[in-house]
Amino acid sequence: MLRLLLAAFCAAALATAPVHAASKKKRSVKAAKTGTALVAAGAANGYDAEARLIQVYQTIGQSRTREALLLADKLVADFPHFALAQLVHGDLLMAQSRPLKMLGDVPEATLRAAPGVLGELREESLLRMKALRETPPADMLPEQFARLSARNKHAIAIDASRARLYLFENTSSGLRMIANYYMSVGKQGIEKTIEGDLRTPLGVYFITNTLDRKNLKDFYGAGALPINYPNPYDTRRGKTGSGIWLHGTPPAQVARPPKATDGCVVLANPDLERILATVEMRTTPVVIAPSLKWVKNHQNNADLASFDAVWQQWQQAYTQGDIPRTMAFYTPDFNSYGKTLADWQGLQSAEASKAKGRAPQIKDQSALHWVESANSATMVVTFSQSTAGSKTSVTKRQYWLRSAGLTQNQWKMFFEGVIG
Amino acid sequence: MPIQFRAIEVFSQSRSATSARLRASAIAVSVALCAFASSNALADDYTDVNRLLRAGQLAEASTKADQYLAGKPRDAQMRFLKGVILTEQGKPTEAITAFTKLTEDFPELPEPYNNLAVLYAGQSQFDKARAALEMAIRTNPSYATAHENLGDVYAKLASQAYSRALQLDNSNTGVQPKLGLIRELFAPGAKGQRPVAATPASTLAKAPVPPPVPTPAPAAPAVAVAAAPTPAAATAKPAPTAAAPAAASASAGSEQEVTAAVQAWANAWSAKDVKDYLAAYGKDFDAPGGRKTWEDERKKRILGKTKISVKLNNMAVSVNGNQATARFRQDYNADSLSVSSRKKLDLVKSADRWVIVKESTGA
Repeated sequence: MLRLLLAAFCAAALATAPVHAASKKKRSVKAAKTGTALVAAGAANGYDAEARLIQVYQTIGQSRTREALLLADKLVADFPHFALAQLVHGDLLMAQSRPLKMLGDVPEATLRAAPGVLGELREESLLRMKALRETPPADMLPEQFARLSARNKHAIAIDASRARLYLFENTSSGLRMIANYYMSVGKQGIEKTIEGDLRTPLGVYFITNTLDRKNLKDFYGAGALPINYPNPYDTRRGKTGSGIWLHGTPPAQVARPPKATDGCVVLANPDLERILATVEMRTTPVVIAPSLKWVKNHQNNADLASFDAVWQQWQQAYTQGDIPRTMAFYTPDFNSYGKTLADWQGLQSAEASKAKGRAPQIKDQSALHWVESANSATMVVTFSQSTAGSKTSVTKRQYWLRSAGLTQNQWKMFFEGVIG
Repeated sequence: MPIQFRAIEVFSQSRSATSARLRASAIAVSVALCAFASSNALADDYTDVNRLLRAGQLAEASTKADQYLAGKPRDAQMRFLKGVILTEQGKPTEAITAFTKLTEDFPELPEPYNNLAVLYAGQSQFDKARAALEMAIRTNPSYATAHENLGDVYAKLASQAYSRALQLDNSNTGVQPKLGLIRELFAPGAKGQRPVAATPASTLAKAPVPPPVPTPAPAAPAVAVAAAPTPAAATAKPAPTAAAPAAASASAGSEQEVTAAVQAWANAWSAKDVKDYLAAYGKDFDAPGGRKTWEDERKKRILGKTKISVKLNNMAVSVNGNQATARFRQDYNADSLSVSSRKKLDLVKSADRWVIVKESTGA
């Protein structure tokens, strides 16, 4: 009898834990290997709760239900507000007294009391499994990180399709992923356009500052990292809204459903704490993509090559103080915090005459690439600039656009300004 | 959903009074059968305390139990009764202490664990109730009553887990469960007595309790079935008729093998031969807590005793192909503990050897 119940349960678990479902027919060695790798990957994330949840799933998949129950007992004792853990714990307890029909075999009456919640939990479960099963190759990076400078000590990339945030460290030998976490986006999904649309913006952003939990409501959990939405590209396209943060979860939730926020990116508190303790304000890019494209070598990026050539020309004209030639790289509707192209040209001329022939020094250039469509892409460039003989330097950021319709497919600058 | 705990009932007398009490608390009644091999003089003291307990004279029952325990402070049966009295007196904390100490002194007995679970469940401490019931089962694999209670506790815990998963206010679903208790550990003078049939409380209320059914030797029908050819087969094909007696005798031979295997198991246990004792259990034996844990615990329990005696009586064996069931009364004596209980072993023939795959106490 007991054996029968377990078999039924495992079938249910397999349906939602595709690690084993994939190799159901020829399980054994291959499935076991995948399993170990997943646990290891989870543990390396430092997010104990998720790694342990996956371990429970895997133990169920291996028909060691009794053991799985003991693991789940400990998991919910340590993380009582981890809804997915409670769900699988409920299943494992229920399986002791009756056969289960599916993962999350919640009684009808309970389901009616919380409509929709089970569906969200199942989706969360699937997304977590998917993200851990399809980990990006170690030698690949998100395409958006076209070029990072030594000033970018960390970088964040978010893949909405996987409900996953990837945290990178920029070492002397290049960018290296150091963690990845489950995260939630807006109730209405992604591609924020107007204020109050309950969507998470897509694009290239930077962390603007950090907010301590002491100054925040419990709702934000461990703290918050606001990002610069709307950025100049968003503003140019008429996007509205504000207050897009990466933040933590309320005390009564370890994680929120995949689509749960008003547009913010929400992480489990231990994960947000790690990010808070790791990343720098202003220099940490946050790329939010519908799905990340992982590439091996940015040298093969034709768009970057064409941009680099243009940027060299701009830099040459600018450092030589050749204002007319410099201004040829700007779009007619250029706008820098309200200053028009004509305003900007005046300021550039004044700056050049003030420099009295001393060429500006440009260094630490980074470039983030955002492909909006086949016909449109932007490049977000950040660099520091100093005047020869001067000890002070400023950080400048430029937004370049290559659009078939708007710039005849040439790279043109539509924003430039001093930041931080 | 309220939990209805199954109480273990072993009353050898005053059945109507028992029924009334159980009916009043709407308790589903199951069975148990643990009988203490004790002298008649002692049995009278138990009977007196029991009578007072059932008559609701709790203070008197308590006094008498205390007097008895002053002289025999370790006596398991009286301490158990004392625990029941404390429970009845609405002193759950003291009752929990009493049953906890019993589990420490007599870890072999599942009943104190079961009652601990009932008390914990009464305080909505379902995790503790579960732990106690799991111990009861680990102590006594496939102990029917504890399994039933545990099933209810698991269901209750599952429903709590689901509510937490769906972030529902748990207080709304927290219906206070109705509780029952094992009322008596050992029925005085019940040695060799037949088990009381399991009857739900509702049935008890409506209909007179059926008299305990004397268990027929279960082996007989099994053999008869094997031996009797169907009429159709008899007319159509004479051959099977000839084969039948052979099957019957083969079956009889199997019964002897099973009996011998069970006796060898009891002998190994008596001899504290842990290796042979554990080897009597097949690899399919559903060891509570996992085979390794269970083996370690059994080893500790067995080797921890100075002397063990396990005697089997009234053995009835039924064989069906490669599967067999042995039912018997087990008189277990170890150091200060002496327990007589009904036991059922399920065996399978594996590699020409009969091995135990399930061990049940009680019904």
